[in-house]
Amino acid sequence: MNQYKPAGLMKKQRRAAAVASIFTVLLIVLFLVSLNTGVIRIDPVTVIKTIFGSGEPRDELLLFEFRLPRITIAVLIGMGLAVSGAVLQGIVKNPLADPGIIGINAGAGLAVMLFVSYFSTELGNSVFIMPILAFIGAGAAAVVIYAFSYKKDEGVSPIRLILVGVAVAAGISALMIVLTLKLDPRTYDFVATWLAGSIWGSNWNFVLALLPWLVVLIPFVYMKSRVLDVLNLGDHTAVSLGMNLEKERRILLAAAVGLAAASVSVSGGIGFVGLIAPHMTRRLVGNKHKYVIPICALIGAVLVLTADTLGRVILQPAEIPTGVVVAIIGAPYFLYLLAKLND
Amino acid sequence: MLNALEINNIAVGYHNRSVINDLSVTIPKNKITTIIGPNGCGKSTLIKTVSRILKAEKGTILLDGKAINTLDTREIAKQMAILPQTAESPGGLTVFELVSYGRFPYRKALGSLSKEDYNYINWAIEVTGLADFSDREISDMSGGQRQRVWIAMSLAQGTETLVLDEPTTYLDLAHQLDILLLLKKLNIEEHRTIIMVLHDLNHASRFSDYMIAMKDGNLITKGSPEEVMTHNNLRTLFNIEADIQECPYSGHPIFTSYHLSSQDKNYE
Amino acid sequence: MSKFNSSLTDKEQVKAVKNTAKPVRGTVIISGGIIFLLCAFAVSISLGAADINLSTIWNALFNFDGSVTQHQIIWELRFPRIIGAAIVGAAFSVAGALMQGMTRNPLADSGLLGLNAGAVMMLAISFSFFPGLPYVYVVLLSFFGAALGAGIVYGIGSMSRNGLTPLRLVLAGAAVTALLTALSEGIALYFNVGQDMAFWYAGGVSSTRWSHLAIITPIVIIMLFIAMRISKSITILSLGEEVAVSLGERTVRTKLISAGVIVVLAGLAVSVVGAVSFVGLIVPHLTRKLVGYDYRWIIPVSAVVGAILVVVADLFARTLNAPFEIPIGALISLIGVPFFLYLARKGGKAI
Repeated sequence: MNQYKPAGLMKKQRRAAAVASIFTVLLIVLFLVSLNTGVIRIDPVTVIKTIFGSGEPRDELLLFEFRLPRITIAVLIGMGLAVSGAVLQGIVKNPLADPGIIGINAGAGLAVMLFVSYFSTELGNSVFIMPILAFIGAGAAAVVIYAFSYKKDEGVSPIRLILVGVAVAAGISALMIVLTLKLDPRTYDFVATWLAGSIWGSNWNFVLALLPWLVVLIPFVYMKSRVLDVLNLGDHTAVSLGMNLEKERRILLAAAVGLAAASVSVSGGIGFVGLIAPHMTRRLVGNKHKYVIPICALIGAVLVLTADTLGRVILQPAEIPTGVVVAIIGAPYFLYLLAKLND
Repeated sequence: MLNALEINNIAVGYHNRSVINDLSVTIPKNKITTIIGPNGCGKSTLIKTVSRILKAEKGTILLDGKAINTLDTREIAKQMAILPQTAESPGGLTVFELVSYGRFPYRKALGSLSKEDYNYINWAIEVTGLADFSDREISDMSGGQRQRVWIAMSLAQGTETLVLDEPTTYLDLAHQLDILLLLKKLNIEEHRTIIMVLHDLNHASRFSDYMIAMKDGNLITKGSPEEVMTHNNLRTLFNIEADIQECPYSGHPIFTSYHLSSQDKNYE
Repeated sequence: MSKFNSSLTDKEQVKAVKNTAKPVRGTVIISGGIIFLLCAFAVSISLGAADINLSTIWNALFNFDGSVTQHQIIWELRFPRIIGAAIVGAAFSVAGALMQGMTRNPLADSGLLGLNAGAVMMLAISFSFFPGLPYVYVVLLSFFGAALGAGIVYGIGSMSRNGLTPLRLVLAGAAVTALLTALSEGIALYFNVGQDMAFWYAGGVSSTRWSHLAIITPIVIIMLFIAMRISKSITILSLGEEVAVSLGERTVRTKLISAGVIVVLAGLAVSVVGAVSFVGLIVPHLTRKLVGYDYRWIIPVSAVVGAILVVVADLFARTLNAPFEIPIGALISLIGVPFFLYLARKGGKAI
């Protein structure tokens, strides 16, 4: 125990730990539920047996080759999008920023779509190229958005950033519509499903493609949590405290873009996670990014995994794309926030 | 007399509109210096340039003899703390947490607060009279208390120099005085250099050792309150005719009422 | 946020409105615009997959001969299409102008505020559940969808204490659009009508037939008439709620009528052309530059300018990459996005 620490800090720390444990337990429970959910149901005992290596070959195939990678991807995407959203909100100091709403996802989507339309979806290595392409697309969108919201003497105004982002997203969607029409029906189906945000890559390669981005970027962002805290105090205070404002903003923006792009390349258009997860987190544990980053990653994972599992169950045997489920849950929540917040 | 800041021939502007053309002024160490002047005179621009939110198009600003544009921004933050006019208070922070951000320039990316950090934070909370509130949420506090918290944060920065842009704006009379007395105490007991912008001339005169008067981006006059707060200077600066007296507390010049120089008749 | 609220004080605005009402200029612009529109009609009819010269068009109009293929192309395909384009342009523009005036919000547009997405969702529903539904009902569903989108966005806006700031409105619009689009996508994927929908809403005005026009034209004309009737009240409303009330304006009534007109116009336009954004954003801004701030002029001029914009856009959509058509919505977005960016950068003081 640190004797200098006031009681309030300890209370917050304990609260954060409690919230983290609750969501970890929730994630584990969901994980097990999700494993035995689907067209073929497997009861929990068999699931556990199979995981520990004493199951039937059929169950093993189903769990290890189909459900487990898909669940893992859902968890990773949730983390990536949630942390990306938390960082964006920190940068623009507006709780309504989200990589989907401000056009970063659209940029990634366009790049992936171009690739899929002109090359094949079957290319073995394309799995690993996709996140990079998505990053380029999202990065290009972010650069455009940043450039248009930057004004000499004023820097980047958060409001302008969001408005410009919405416009860029609209422009990119228009371009994507043009592209969709040129596709043959099979590729079209693929692209439409992808755009609607379905976790299509249900194999371990996608996990491998996604993982390095998160393993590098989430800890990096975590290390920057104090920078995010200080950014929250306002530009002038941040400068006064010796922060290189524009530089830190750009670095963080790049990290947020990377996280969103890698996730979107696998998940397609899943919006709102980056908005809801950080917001719920802030309500639960306050504004300290030391707590916000890890907990919002957990909440994001819970959110996407729930949506993915629900999407598999609701209209069985048909699947509803995860993005659609997330939007149906997320948009009303966003609108509720919008009605409640005073900006 | 040693100088905390030396401003040499700076020109500053924004949106291609120049606010300060050519300004040179020095600010003494360990004193309270107040910048006064009418709206739009460039006093806030000057503070923003000193606090490196705006860049000077030409000229230099020396902090302890070194040009601030050559220094690392964190190094400056260890020597000079700035309290902006519109400090935003994010929700969900306690007094202790906000004050602890004052240690930002000293801290590495990871790791918790050091013993030295705790000492500074606790001292800053103590000296600003906030010891009983350190676990209080800032959003639950009054305007005057909040301003104390921000000052405490600047103090936790452990700097020789403290720059404040209109620290008493939006506060009621008692809280204004309270903040100024706190600054005076810091100056006398801790020998801090305090540089601030004030709108209230009587407060400026009463609490300052040194005053800088600006108009239209130019330096009009500088010196002790007695030298600056004269009939002629006030007419030049604000177009007012003031009845100057002596402050019963500080002995500095103040005035109780005034009328406009241009007004040929007073309907009173 | 203060930047987005108009920089003028109310008094200054009243003065600005008085000074900028330009009847002579307005009349000239409307007549010039109509002449220009007719020229655009002629050019648009003659250009296309099969080029047709002007004398043939003249003959098709006044000496129609059913045995001439070109006459048939003109009557059955190009004519309805062009009239459809003009109607859609006028409808989107007047809806946009009313929205901007009513909300004092320079960024209002039916596409950005969720009306179009609502109409599209209802179309997805009608495609999936009631394939082959008569056109009248499709149009009705489309109104309903637009009303749904608008209802949610304005509901959110009115629930918040600060009212409808441009940022709030745009964000609410983006979220409602995302929600309704997700629902449409879900429905489309489940019922396998995705690419049909894509072709339909990207296909622009090409599928317009006389039978459609017979339904939509009277509605649009009635709506434009009502819009003209309330235009004076909209002008006063655009000065701000307080000013309008103190001038004795019945603001609630005006707003309700205006909202009804907006929903019908936007829903109808979407049912013809699909979710085209930005027409309702660009045209009223251009119009204000031309005729000032008086909605008695803004509304008719917007209708003419909007018609020209969509007819010309449709012409380019058909001819730029012939024989393929570029989706007209995408084409307009390519003009609309930079325009929006310009407004957002300027801080949106233009209203």
